Amino acid sequence: MEEEIQTQEDPSYGIGDYMPSAAIVGIIFSLVTFAVGLFFGYQQINAEPTGSFFSPFMISSGVICLISALAGLLAVWHFSKEVSPKIKLGQGAVLGFLTGAIIAILSVAFSELWVLLFDPEYTDKIMSSLIANIEEMELPSAQKNEMIDAMAESVSSEQSVFRQLFMGIPITGLINLITALIGVKIFAEKPEEKF
Amino acid sequence: MTNGKLYVILLIAFSGMVFLSLGGGVWGAEQSINHWTGVLFQSVCHQDPTRSLSLFGTPMAVNSRCFGIFAGILAGWLLIPLLSMFKFKNKRALMVLLFAVMLQILDYSGNLLGYWENTNFSRVLLGGFLGVAVSLSLSDFFYNDNQT
Repeated sequence: MEEEIQTQEDPSYGIGDYMPSAAIVGIIFSLVTFAVGLFFGYQQINAEPTGSFFSPFMISSGVICLISALAGLLAVWHFSKEVSPKIKLGQGAVLGFLTGAIIAILSVAFSELWVLLFDPEYTDKIMSSLIANIEEMELPSAQKNEMIDAMAESVSSEQSVFRQLFMGIPITGLINLITALIGVKIFAEKPEEKF
Repeated sequence: MTNGKLYVILLIAFSGMVFLSLGGGVWGAEQSINHWTGVLFQSVCHQDPTRSLSLFGTPMAVNSRCFGIFAGILAGWLLIPLLSMFKFKNKRALMVLLFAVMLQILDYSGNLLGYWENTNFSRVLLGGFLGVAVSLSLSDFFYNDNQT
């Protein structure tokens, strides 16, 4: 009995407890960010080059970053509703990092699948459009050439899927970890005041 | 100080994040975009060299606003032990955080719609404010005994 009370007051969770919340929120957020990215991506492809920094592709980066950063917060909310409202700071951190890792993995997977199954030219079309936009920018030609070279190189170097996957996890995980900690502050059950 | 182990782990993680966001210049590369430091951040930042600070002549791996946010998070994190000594109570922390987020959106939108033109300096400053607000909103976890 005493042990049961101790467990309720000081819960410990395994990966299996975190996974439903991390997976559900991760899948939803990676689908949403993928759809947003695709929408802005085709807007970019079909847009006339204006030379403005604010191309659809650039706007999508900000929007996607803002949306995906909230996943950690929502994973904690989901966990507090579905598993237990008692969640410690460290547990929130693990949940947030897991959610970020799932988003990083699925985002790469969805993009690869889209290119593989539906539009093999997608990446090339985006790059051509971005390069055309840079060419219209009012910048010194040396700077323009540098930017174009860097972009062209990033396409030709064809980063391996595994490199993208593993390099994407740490930072996306860390950002979602931070928002998960904020989620713990907002959604976790507060201990009763002791007088 | 409570949750001391997590504090130290995240201090190391945030320090690493800021250091790596400095980009390829630290490692002698001419660009950050295709450098491994750039690949680390490509899913969270647009990495436009024209809107990034440069180090050793090489644009950083993240733009100036993201660098401000990361540096602000680290600076705020370093302040937490100091606040702990003074038993600082930040009751409006989440409101300040919300205000800092709104400020980013306002600045981004104002620039997008042509009402004003932000600079690297203003983006670092506003990003830094958001970063510090994030850390300080979490500060009481590390020195209030009644927190989880």
